[in-house]
Formats: sequence, structure tokens, C-alpha cells
Amino acid sequence: MTTSSELAVEHCDVLIAGSGAAGMRAAIAAHDAGAKVVLLAKGPRRANHTRMSGGRYNVVTGLNPKDTDDAFFQDTIDSGMGINNYELTRILADEALARAYDLEEYGLAWDRTDVTKYYMSMTGGGTYVRTLGSIDEGIGITEVMLHQMHKRGIRICDFHMLADVIRTDGGDVAGGLVMDLSKGVWRFFSAPAVVIATGGTSQLYETSSGPTINTGDGISIALRAGAELVDIEFMQFIPISFVYPPSARGYTLTEPAHYGMRHFDPNAEAAQLLNNKGERFVLKHDPVRKEGSTRDVLARAIMLEILEGRGTPEGGVFMVPDPQVFESFLKERPIYVKRLLENYGEAQARLEAPIQVMPSALYTLGGVRIDAWCRTSVPGLFAAGEAAGGVHGANRLGGSSMPDIQVFGRRAGIAAAQDALAGRPPEGAGLDRARERAAALTAPIGRAEGVRPIEVKRRVQKLMWDHVGLVRTAARLEETLRAFTDLRRNVLPQLKVTDKSRILNREWMESLELENMLDLAEAMAATSLQRKETRGAFYRTDFPDQDPQWTANLWVKRDGERIVVEKRPVVTLGAAVPAQPLAAAIS
Amino acid sequence: MTTPATITVTAEIRRFDPSQDGEPRYQRFEVEGLANMSVLDVVRSIYENQAGDLAYQFACRIGRCGTCAMRVNGRPVLACQERCKEEMRIEPLTPFPVLRDLVVDRTEIESRLAALELAPKRDAQHPGKPEPIGADLAAKLCNMDSCLLCMVCVSACPAVDERPFDGPAFMLKLRHMAEHPADRGDRLGQALDHGMLECFNCDVCTQMCPADLSPAQAIRDFRKELVFGGVSKR
Amino acid sequence: MSGAATLPRNTTRQAEGALHGDIARLLHRFTGTVIVLFVLVHVIAQAVLHVPAFGMTKAAAPWLPVLQSQHWMHAALYFSIVFHTLYGLKLLASELGMRIEYRSALWVIVAISALVGLREVLRYAGI
Repeated sequence: MTTSSELAVEHCDVLIAGSGAAGMRAAIAAHDAGAKVVLLAKGPRRANHTRMSGGRYNVVTGLNPKDTDDAFFQDTIDSGMGINNYELTRILADEALARAYDLEEYGLAWDRTDVTKYYMSMTGGGTYVRTLGSIDEGIGITEVMLHQMHKRGIRICDFHMLADVIRTDGGDVAGGLVMDLSKGVWRFFSAPAVVIATGGTSQLYETSSGPTINTGDGISIALRAGAELVDIEFMQFIPISFVYPPSARGYTLTEPAHYGMRHFDPNAEAAQLLNNKGERFVLKHDPVRKEGSTRDVLARAIMLEILEGRGTPEGGVFMVPDPQVFESFLKERPIYVKRLLENYGEAQARLEAPIQVMPSALYTLGGVRIDAWCRTSVPGLFAAGEAAGGVHGANRLGGSSMPDIQVFGRRAGIAAAQDALAGRPPEGAGLDRARERAAALTAPIGRAEGVRPIEVKRRVQKLMWDHVGLVRTAARLEETLRAFTDLRRNVLPQLKVTDKSRILNREWMESLELENMLDLAEAMAATSLQRKETRGAFYRTDFPDQDPQWTANLWVKRDGERIVVEKRPVVTLGAAVPAQPLAAAIS
Repeated sequence: MTTPATITVTAEIRRFDPSQDGEPRYQRFEVEGLANMSVLDVVRSIYENQAGDLAYQFACRIGRCGTCAMRVNGRPVLACQERCKEEMRIEPLTPFPVLRDLVVDRTEIESRLAALELAPKRDAQHPGKPEPIGADLAAKLCNMDSCLLCMVCVSACPAVDERPFDGPAFMLKLRHMAEHPADRGDRLGQALDHGMLECFNCDVCTQMCPADLSPAQAIRDFRKELVFGGVSKR
Repeated sequence: MSGAATLPRNTTRQAEGALHGDIARLLHRFTGTVIVLFVLVHVIAQAVLHVPAFGMTKAAAPWLPVLQSQHWMHAALYFSIVFHTLYGLKLLASELGMRIEYRSALWVIVAISALVGLREVLRYAGI
């Protein structure tokens, strides 16, 4: 019988946490660079955000003569309201095509109009038609990549949750402390390089579009390990998602643009949005672009409408699609039509009846701060994908996450392999620290009395949705920040797990998640308080305008138990990253 | 506007913890909720309010990851997609080894998939420009590749029960590669080696597939190829 | 995923209703067994009835000719032959490239077989 501090020790060169496309692409790249790779999936390997994605892929293929890499770059900066990490954005625009061809090499068949002509569509916020897709969407992307993993014999560990990154005394990465949930035993993977590709923080919110596993674990782990976070106050909300049934609630319905002729023509109309009085309320917010506006404007408009009592009894508003686009919608997105049919009905599936929609938390715009090769400030620690921040700035273009995860997944893998092959941590490094941490994290199982994790989780999710969501204001943020700090200090140490059996103990897993969620919730509330403006996906009712003084990023770092927030200048092209102004310490 | 309808569900769930239990037992629960709840909503409600030690698996909860497959009233379904019924018996997916309660061990599934080598076996590298694939063929390939590998069809297949046959899903994945213009593998040979001829051609897999695919059709296509030969690839 | 107007299938009630493939398979097995058994029994019965050497057995089984002309036996037999043949042909055709919808195919074949069986019953009833 394993005692709580007993660790099964293993060795590898590159340890990757996260089985989505960023993690898999990193694994493929690291393996091809000669490293021994282990990939950890918190649950079964197909449970990730990429899987659920519509698989839209923004890229300049050359098929649209008006479009250029520069235009793609500029669109991303514009959408990001100028606070992107310009270097990362440039790389995204430049490397997206090569990665699209990689996916094709892996076996993905991009939709076509002709033998060598990809089918392209518009997504919200872009200037030119440049979005590729495949009708198998994120399912196809994850499957072809899994087969590339199999081809290379890369080890994938299902039900293995990264609990912490352990460092040597010198501050380098020594390896990862991992919980094997299927058996309830701790493992230590001694590795000189760890890649965080654990996705975003959508599960911090009551209504979200992501998978249940995206509790921001990797981002929080990186913060604990000494890395910085950037733009963590920025959370993208999708304007329209399913309202019912309960299991589908919050799952994205993409954008109103896709339900109207605007899907093909940037100058045409998107589907109309109506409140319970039948009014087109979006016109109040964006009279020019109307329902073809960007995701953040639409999401806020809908949220405010619902909050002010003009929503439906189920908690949504109505979207009136244009039946003219049904045939191409069916051809392009049959999976979405199927869901509309099953969740709502035949008339809605045929786009002939109004569809109930509500906003939902979708994508974490910020995350771990990385450089062009996905390095964090901790030697040996890398991050890529939704877990990393800076590529998209204040608001992400629809269709830009797919190229992001391919481009930066590969870069993380290459850099991690390079670092790993350059030197290993000394034998036994980090083991004591790992044992200590394992013992601490096992405590909830031993407790006779306490609070169930699910109750705290629900509370955090509600607070985040209400106060650190689409609509934020100083008083609520302060209140919420105090609540999170209180939960972290007083309630977290009292978590109790009903079940003493360790095998697939969901409550135990939730107790591990909760620490991560609370760390991030605090960071998100704290940075939200600091940023006194509205920009992109970030909206303060008390500071509703964009402030040029805030064309800057907020970095977050841990200093013991405190969170330190620093305002930093935007990383533009060619500029060095100087140490600069405002440092606000929060305990 | 009418208020949404509610329902009272009685669910009998098969419980088994290999570290504690000698044999499986069934535990009865009652759940009240919206009438449009899925089976997954019921299971989650039980976990959150009644049985904190229930082990179950899900992730996307919208029918795309395929990880919540389980048996409901004897039929293999995706819990997140299947509407709840007033009386339900909920059990883990057969014929896979049970890790605990409703979670099964997919190790064998993954190793069989790996053995099939489902990445395209190319004889030339990617040309660095769009690969020539007809629009209709691309759509067909994507359609086949939207298989979730949820194993519902394998669980439902009567031939898998009786005969040395990997299962419909594996045949569908092989067919996907067989039709991919860049693949040079002997996919028909692989299908035959993995029991393709054992299929009853009964279409139970077609009926049960939550992604609306037809593994049986993939097998029929292989059989036709066996008789008439396939289309040569360049 | 066929023509423009056809929606994907609603697969939210998979645990309800009949499994067509199971019905088809079991019926095919059952009818196949009936046919095999019939041939076996028929050969033996005809031998008993017509081969002089089995005269003693024939005398000991006066119920044999009566049995052979039971209408329900004929009905079951004809149903089985028609079902097994048609369904077998459906299997063959579908594997040689013909696209056949499995649900309607089953019910059409059952209907035809039932009609043939019914015809036997009516014939014996003198209709």
C-alpha cells in the first residue's frame, strides 16, 4: 500500500502537460528533435478544448489575392487593441501556413472548393476572407495528431494530472509532480524541461464553453513555480451559446455572423439578435456594424440585456438566423446543425426559427508570459497554447486559436528539446520537495470534517461569472477579491473528500483543482482592479472608455503568499523589454 | 412563455471499486430536474448532491470527446447526448475492463489503434502547397474522420461479442486511410487481419453511432474492394 | 450526410426503440435454422412415406401426412424461405456496392415474407 508521500519516480527529457493540439504539437516537435517525451492528459487523451473547437484556422494561403501576412498581423493587433506581444503575433501570422500544411501532411483534409483550392470563410473581426476549416473540426485535428503521436511511439499517460512543477535549489526545473488519478498514486517525472499546455480557465466561470478539465491548472502551476502571467484579466466571452439543455448550456454557437449572409460577405448582415420584446438591442451598442460587431461588443450587449431583465425565462435572448445560409451552413458545419436539431428542434436546425442564445466564457486571452520560443522566466519551463498569453492581446480573432496552438506548440517542443538535451538535473533533485508537496495535497483525504470541494468550486464559479466576467466594476471586484483571499486562506485548508478510496477520486481531483482556480481567480480579480479602462474583451462599467495610458500589459508574479502586479509596456517589434513603471503589491 | 418541464428520474447505477469491493453492486438514486436533462446531467447531479464517491468520466459534455460513453438500459450511448429516462439502469461500457464505477480502461483500445498505424503512409513528403484532393473526397474524408472513437459501436456490435473482430470503429478508421489519396498502406489487408469478414452487416453500429456515421458502410466498401479491387492511387 | 435538405440524425434517444440490426440478424438466423431443419425433416419424412423399406415406420406414424399439411407449418416455412433469401440478397447486394437503407429494407422484406406466409394460411383455409 503506497503511503501518501511515496513517489514512483520516472525520467524523461521533456514532460508535457496537456493533450490538446498545443501539447501534442510540442510532443511531436520535441520527439523529432531527439528528446524522450512524456505527455500527460488529465483524463482520457481526447478530453481537451481543441477537441471541442470548430477547428477554424486563420491563415494567409495566397488564395485571397488581397490578403497578406502583414494584413493578418495587423488584424490581430487591431483586434488585440494594441497590447499584444507584437513579436508573438508576427510569428503567428508568418508561420500559420506551414503549420496548416503540417496538419494536411498528418492527414487532415481541409475543405475545398476545388482540387487545390481551399474553401475559406470570414470570421468576426478580420478584414479579409482567410479562414480555413474542415468539417470534422477539432475532432479531425486531434485525431490526426494522435495518430502522429502513435506513429512516433510517444508515451501518453491518461488520467495523469500535473500537480506542480518542482524546481532544483538553483531554480531550474527538476521535473513534474503528477497524480495518477486512475490508481491514486503520486508520480515524479524527473525532467529538465516541462511544457505547460493545459489550456485555459473557462471552468472558473458558471457558464462556459470549454471542457470540464480546463480549470487553469497549468497557468497556476507556472505562477507557483515563479513564472509571470500576462494579460490574465482578459477573458474572451463568446456572445452566443446554447441555453439548454443543461449539459449543452454555454457551448459555443460561434457568431451571429455565421448565421447570416455576412458569413460570406463582410458587408452583408449577420443574424439579428432580439430581446424578449423583439427589439434589436445591439443597435444601441454598435449602430454601424450591428450584429456583425466583434465578439466582445456582442457578448456585453447580450449580457446586459439579460441582466436588465429583457431576456427569455431560460436566461437567453433570441437570434434570428437567415434561412438562406442553411445549405452552406449544413455543408460546412454539419455537427453544429446536428446539435441545433437535438438541443432545440428541427425548425431551429434549418435556421427557420429563432434560436435562443446566451454569452459564455470561452477563451483565456492572457496566460503564462512567454517569449518567441515559449520560454518562461523559469529555466526549463515552457508554455504554449491557450495557457500562454500575449499572442492575441485584448481580444482574439475567431479562427486564430488553431494556428496559435500549432505554431507555438511546435516552438515549445523544439525549444524544450534543445534545453533538455543540453543538460539534466542532478539525480534525485527535487524529490524531497515533491514528497512534501504530495503529502500536503493528500491531506484532504485524511480529513474527517470539512468542506466539500464542489461547494467551493460552485461559489468561485458564481463569483467569477457575476463580478469578474463580462461586466466588472471596482466595488464588486474588491469584494470578490476579498472573498477569494478568504477562501484561499481559510477554506482551502479545510477541504474534505467524502471518499477515502483513491481510485478515480473526483473530489480529490477537485481539491487539487481548487487551489489552482483560487490562485487564478485572485490574480484575475486583482489585475482587473488595476486596469482602469475598457479595452477589447475587458469591460469596466466604472471606466467604460479605452485609455491610451493603459496601452500596456499587467504582469503577475508570486512573491511568497502575495501576488505582485506590475504594469509593463507593450512588447512591440524590435523593442527590448525594459523594466518600468508601476508596481502594485497585493497581499 | 411556459416554464420548462421537470422530471423525476430513478437511476440505478452499477458501483464497483476494485480496491474495496469484492463484487459490483447497484445503488438506487432519485433525481429531480429539467425534463430535457441528459443522462450526464443526472449522473452529475447524483455526484454533486448524493454520492461524492461516484466515479464517472466526461469532459466536453456536448458529444465531441466521446469519453462519457456508458450503458443506459443495456444500450451503449454517450451520456451527454442521451436524453434521461424516468427509469434508468446505468452501467459502464462493455466489453472494457472497469477502472471504477462508470469509468473503463481504454489502454487496449489505444494500443489497437496504435497498431493500425492510422497516419497516412506517404511515399512522398507534403508538397508545401495545397495537396490535390477533390472537394467531395475531402468532405468524405472529413466525415469519416469525425469518428469520436467513443467505442459505442464496438460495444453494440454482436460480432465483437462472438468472433475475433476488433470492431466497427477500427474498420472505419482503416477505411478513412484507405480512401485518403496520400496513403499507400494495405488497409484492406489490415482490415482482413483484424476481423473485417466477421461483420454481420447488420448496421447496429450505424444505428447506434452518436456521430451519425456508418462503420458498416466502411466495411461494405472494403468488401466491395475485396471483390472488385480498389481505385489505384496515382 | 446526404442531400441538401436532409438533416443529420437526432441521436439523443439511442437507448429507446428497437435495434433493427438485431431483429434482422436474429430473424435471419431463425429462418435459416427453420430451413435447415425443414430440409432435414422433409427428407426423412418423404423417405418414411415413400420408401418401401420404411413401411413399418410409416404405419407407426399416421400423423405424419397430417403434420405435413398443417397451414402454419407451411406459412412458417414460406416466410422463412422468402425472408432468408431476400435478406441474404440484400446483404450480398449491399456488399457489392448497392446503397440500401437498412431500416426500410428490413421492414419491406419482413412485409413481403409475411404476405407470402399469410397467403399460405389463406390457401389452406380455402380462401
